[in-house]
Amino acid sequence: MADFLSAYSIQNWLESCPQAYLEGTEYGHQPGENEPEDLLANEVLREDAIRTTVQLVVGEKCALAASSGLINAAPDEGSKCFLATQTLDEARHVEVFTQRLIDLGVKKKDLDETIRRHANPNLVRFAEVLLEKVDKKDFVAGVVGQNIVLEGMAFSVFEMLKAVTDAVNPKFAHTLAGTIADERRHVGFGENRIGSLIKQHPERKPEIEQMQKDMSYHMLATFAASFRNNPAREQIEQVKEGMRESGVNAEYHGANLSELSPEEMEGVLSDTVLEEFKVRLGRIGIDYQTPARP
Amino acid sequence: MAVRDDVHELTGEQFHEQVHSFEFWFHSVEGYLSGLEYGHREGAAEPDLDDAERDRLISVLCNYCVGETAALDGASGLVAIAPNRHAKIFLSTQVVDEGRHLEVLLHRMSELGVADPEQEIAARACPSLLQFKDRLLELVAERDWEAAILAQNVILEALEFAVFHHHAKTADAITAEVLNGIVKDERRHIGFGENELGRRLRDAPNEHRRLREVKDELDHLVLDALEDTARSLGVGDIERHALGRMYIGSVQRLGLDR
Repeated sequence: MADFLSAYSIQNWLESCPQAYLEGTEYGHQPGENEPEDLLANEVLREDAIRTTVQLVVGEKCALAASSGLINAAPDEGSKCFLATQTLDEARHVEVFTQRLIDLGVKKKDLDETIRRHANPNLVRFAEVLLEKVDKKDFVAGVVGQNIVLEGMAFSVFEMLKAVTDAVNPKFAHTLAGTIADERRHVGFGENRIGSLIKQHPERKPEIEQMQKDMSYHMLATFAASFRNNPAREQIEQVKEGMRESGVNAEYHGANLSELSPEEMEGVLSDTVLEEFKVRLGRIGIDYQTPARP
Repeated sequence: MAVRDDVHELTGEQFHEQVHSFEFWFHSVEGYLSGLEYGHREGAAEPDLDDAERDRLISVLCNYCVGETAALDGASGLVAIAPNRHAKIFLSTQVVDEGRHLEVLLHRMSELGVADPEQEIAARACPSLLQFKDRLLELVAERDWEAAILAQNVILEALEFAVFHHHAKTADAITAEVLNGIVKDERRHIGFGENELGRRLRDAPNEHRRLREVKDELDHLVLDALEDTARSLGVGDIERHALGRMYIGSVQRLGLDR
């Protein structure tokens, strides 16, 4: 295990993250990059971007609370050190997504109120399920909930957002690229560290499987609320039409997102995340539980 | 880069926002950590220590690890109770600093030939330091922000600053380089603690008395640990008193002795 953990050392993190893919960035993107003018000028699209970014801030705040809260429960120094790097990664994500809210025109004094107003209640419940485990200093359930379920969801959502914004919003796409690289590391730690602990404590499996099922349901309900009945639906369709006319292929897991309806996009995202859960949980010896569909 | 070079041009609010950001942390540490491997330059020659010197150094490093583990557990717990986003982000940078300190000290022990550093730490840990750690984590668990910040970012950090700063002057070149890198981080942490508590004490002067009681309770644990470390380092009486004064001076800046 010591060898595996050495790959997740702070030394490696310093060399591969701040001194590598974040080098020269400013709040996660290239200096001088801005949100597109046509996004800022269109009130409906700007409001939609704010609503989407708020969900990212809420998810990252949960990840920050979970990763810092798990340090005290970690059974060895190597895991503590990895979670220290994850804590700072998550804090950086909170910082860069909060900065995006400001870039989208939210005044600093209105940040907390904006986040409160737009936070999806299902996502808040998703976070509460995880943080209940963290509060109990339950390292195994906490790491599965945080590094497999939450991070797995974030990874897929960020990838989809990046596919959509690559051509139309390079600033946001660059911000997402850095967070995706971080999430990949976090998911890797979860899979590698927890497998052996599950083997040592097989009696914990039913409780952890129930947590995964509950969190998955709240995640699907969050997706449903984001894609269906979106007040910006018409404007988003116009953006997608422009992408199609320009020949942009927003490819995500074999689908061109610019050609899909919101419901089809929801389906692709949900299926992708759940399939990833199944594979990753299988690797650590947890039986994936199919959640109810909202 | 969003971080402004001249902090004097910033308003008070902008200043706090900047110095508590990831961006500020990154630009602070990249200057002195860039090119280092586990806190020191690669290929530096190991000192020629005899068995007794090596054993004393290992005992000291073990206790530094106890202190840094306390700081890591304490800072990570403080993230959850921090009163605002900027404090949470600053404490997250502190969490990774403390994790790095623990990692480089463990690595230094393995360079000195310690096969199982964690076992060695358990065997050589100073009881006063362990008691301090327990009390710090109790304050964090009680969500007592002011008292926990006092214990963590003023008392513990001031102790570490005084000891590491002194030890770096006489240590072998590799250990000295590791310690000097840690001391640079500690300055930032102490700055946050003094600033945070200074503002709160100004706004709520009746907190003075309560925090003085916390300080008095922790002082003897800290001074015991200081004594223990000074003994392992072979520090003489005069220097030992100077170390004690250095620690007390840091805590006095908050006016808690009055």
